[in-house]
Amino acid sequence: MIKLSNIVVKFGDFTALHDINVRVKEGEFFTFLGPSGCGKTTTLRTITGFIEPAEGKVFVKDQDITNVPIEQRNIGMVFQSYALFPSMTVYDNIAFGLKILKLKKDEVDKKVRDIAYKVDLSDEQLKKAVSQLSGGQQQRVAIARALVTSPAIICMDEPLSNLDAKLRVQLRNELKKMQRDFGITTIYVTHDQEEALTLSDRIAVFNNGFIEQIGTPNEIYNHSDTEFVCNFIGDINRLEDDMVAGLIKMGSTLNQSDHHFIRLERLRVNTPAAANELVLDGVIENREYYGLYIKYYIRVGKQTLKAIEKNDGINIYEAGERVRVGIHPVDIMTYAAADA
Amino acid sequence: MNTDTRKLFSPEKLFKVFGTAFFVYLFFGFMLLPCINTITQIFTTKNAAGEATPWAVIEFFFAGNMPKYVWNSLKLALTLVVTVNIVGVSIVLLTEYFDIKGAKILRLGYMTTLIYSGVALVTGYLFLYDRNGIITSALKESFPDMNANWFSGYNAVLFTMTFACTSNHALFLRNAIRGLDYNTVEAARNLGAKPLKVLAKVVFPTLIPTMFSLTVMTFITGLCAMSAPTLLGFDSINPEIVRLAGSSVADEAFPQARAALLSIILAMFTIVLLSALSSYERKGHYLSVSKTKAKLVKQKISNPIANVMAHIYAYVLFIIYMIPVVMIVIFSFQDHSAIKMKSIDFSNWTFINYFGEQDYSYLTSRGTYKTRVGSISGLFSNDATIGGIRLSFILSAIAAALACVIVVIACNYIFKNRKKKRSTVLEYSLLFPWLLPTILICYSYRTYFNSEEVWYMFSNNMYYMENVRFLIIMAYTVVKLPFALRMIKAAFYTIDEELEDAAKNLGASGFVTFIKVKLPIILPSVLAVFALNFNSLFTEYDMSATFASRYGTTYAMIIQSMCTDEGLYGYNINASGRRCASTVFIMLISGLILYLVYGVGARDLGDRLELKEKRKKRKERLMLRFSKTKTLAAPESSNS
Repeated sequence: MIKLSNIVVKFGDFTALHDINVRVKEGEFFTFLGPSGCGKTTTLRTITGFIEPAEGKVFVKDQDITNVPIEQRNIGMVFQSYALFPSMTVYDNIAFGLKILKLKKDEVDKKVRDIAYKVDLSDEQLKKAVSQLSGGQQQRVAIARALVTSPAIICMDEPLSNLDAKLRVQLRNELKKMQRDFGITTIYVTHDQEEALTLSDRIAVFNNGFIEQIGTPNEIYNHSDTEFVCNFIGDINRLEDDMVAGLIKMGSTLNQSDHHFIRLERLRVNTPAAANELVLDGVIENREYYGLYIKYYIRVGKQTLKAIEKNDGINIYEAGERVRVGIHPVDIMTYAAADA
Repeated sequence: MNTDTRKLFSPEKLFKVFGTAFFVYLFFGFMLLPCINTITQIFTTKNAAGEATPWAVIEFFFAGNMPKYVWNSLKLALTLVVTVNIVGVSIVLLTEYFDIKGAKILRLGYMTTLIYSGVALVTGYLFLYDRNGIITSALKESFPDMNANWFSGYNAVLFTMTFACTSNHALFLRNAIRGLDYNTVEAARNLGAKPLKVLAKVVFPTLIPTMFSLTVMTFITGLCAMSAPTLLGFDSINPEIVRLAGSSVADEAFPQARAALLSIILAMFTIVLLSALSSYERKGHYLSVSKTKAKLVKQKISNPIANVMAHIYAYVLFIIYMIPVVMIVIFSFQDHSAIKMKSIDFSNWTFINYFGEQDYSYLTSRGTYKTRVGSISGLFSNDATIGGIRLSFILSAIAAALACVIVVIACNYIFKNRKKKRSTVLEYSLLFPWLLPTILICYSYRTYFNSEEVWYMFSNNMYYMENVRFLIIMAYTVVKLPFALRMIKAAFYTIDEELEDAAKNLGASGFVTFIKVKLPIILPSVLAVFALNFNSLFTEYDMSATFASRYGTTYAMIIQSMCTDEGLYGYNINASGRRCASTVFIMLISGLILYLVYGVGARDLGDRLELKEKRKKRKERLMLRFSKTKTLAAPESSNS
């Protein structure tokens, strides 16, 4: 559906994107994930046509659109700020693109009301000014406006970042449902890993203008290609040299010179040792109570390890309590030192 | 036509070419060349023998009494800075910081200068304080030996301008003090500081940037004062420039060159002051770092004596502000004889000063009475006044609109090409008139375009007959460009860049994006700038006086002529009545404009829709009540 081929974007002397190659399948929910300034929005804006690449080509359905003007690309966009026109009512905002296409009034009206119904906006809300709507409702308007012209692709640039945590989670689910219902190819930009993991079919992780890895959420999380991806996605423990040396002594086949990581949920606290599991003695330093789970800071030798345990209401450990920490060698992710 | 040719002649490309040509024409033709001509005038003056004497004007300047005008203007500017700041800070503290009873009423009184300023205000003060003024007449009854002409010269100008120039304090200093984080005041009190210490060490430092700007603006206002010195008789730079501009070599030595020199001196002062202001602004200010600002709570003055004194001071200021307004409003509804006698006749109210006409009888030198039919005329039935109002209305509206259109187009270009040098050049060229005193621009126009040799005017003398109106429009427009730019540029900053991207993404062209998306967002600000510019130009005096000509007699000039004594045999009859009515008319226009700008114009689409909804509900309620009353009344009537 979308193919980015050897895209390079430069701002003066600064190279923002280095040789970006991405293929997005039709109907796919594809996310560009990465920290601020990594190039994810630049890539998105290159697809929509706001940025012209210095090198490389953008293809949509095998057609080269690199030099096609923005307004002729038929790519819908939901902006971070929603970019709703404040001088227009909700109705006029949604109808804007249709009026540009010079559709008949009746047709415009029908399309606006259809899409409003689909994104759960009432007739009453259509008459309002955008400033009279809540953040969530504004987001629906932005989506409706982007979808009403039936674009081939929809691009979303951190559309949930302006919302509070609870609404963000609620709308995240609705967004996914909407995307499935419309079946539209979606490119989504975010720096929030949780958002990316929950929403996406596939994710491209960006770093300093390069793509570090493209994969499904499971591949990205559990089989991170690079140390950056492994570090960026979710919380993680990096095993320090002493700890690695200890594990090697206990029979592990780790290479001392590599970098080793283990996810918090892979550490097992005070559970019966499984086959091949390495067990370490530790002392609880601190405890963070999250309700659904509990996060422990456990002193093991010279290093403090973070571990997450499901809150069963029975096995809750206090600071100073001695515990056993189980590590299964297959859960350790290893990267050659040169990758760092 | 191939694609390249089509691209070359695309509407956007053509608009760009014409736009560039227009701005070049505007900058060189109406800003730079006339002013350069003024400067060269000083050094190309010829003596009686027709020889060029480059330094003659400067020598003459030091030998003659011209330094007196410069010194007088400087003296006025310096003293005005002190008095305006004292009164300006007082009115803001008394209404916003200290807990003074009746602060809301006091604020309204102090803000009257927003709707009542310039030549209207000066004539209002004259109505009260000149030798025939109500207050002077009342004082004369108590102190028969007092000088009836006490309200003239430097003191009168200083007094009038002190109260006339506090409008900026009432607006900007008020905003600054309202933006104060009350937690900082509480923190200082909590740390043991006394109220006066808090005021001096916590409150004042945050007001310094605003105070500095206001001080510079007040100084420039004093230096460039025109209407007050002209009407109250004080020899300062601007009235002298206007006088010299209208003088000829037959009357005195190189009048035009001397006027040019005075204009340049004024320009140099302005440039220095504005440079100081902008370099100060660049240094940064004490800004509140609070994440959650607390609203200022008014401070009670705990010392009872100080509290009483503060109240007395507040109300004395209120009386000074309000007396001219109240008196003028009252007298505008009194007849000619009541105004002449300066006594209010409570049994006789009239609209004659606005719409009426009345015959005037006077005693001739032969001892017989003669009647002039309809000689006592009101504001809207006096041909000269109506002519002035009409001309000012048209010229001001055209110029205010033109300034807005030019600046909107320029700002759109500047924001589109933000990082390019040519947008900076455009911005600075539009700010250029800010560096020049108004009088220099007008004087330059008057001399430069008073010839048939200006090729880009197609060899027309633009100071000749009706052409002068074009010059006035251009001067009004050019003078208002910097203000319009600053305000409209600020409005452009509020446009989220993503809106433009969104419109483009939805298929809109640059032109459609501008018309449908950007313009509606900035329109309230543009209309506000238009209204404020129109408001100040409508009663503008300084420029009109410089262009004084039969075909350019604006409303302000008519108002000024109303200050001339009513002569014998029906000359200038009822000028005082029309003057009062004029002032009320101006106050109404200004009040309406301020209401439209800050009241209606400040509402966004959401507010407007909410208001519409409320009105609709109110109407429905009324209809319901009406229909209920009707239903109830129907059986009654059928019973009867």
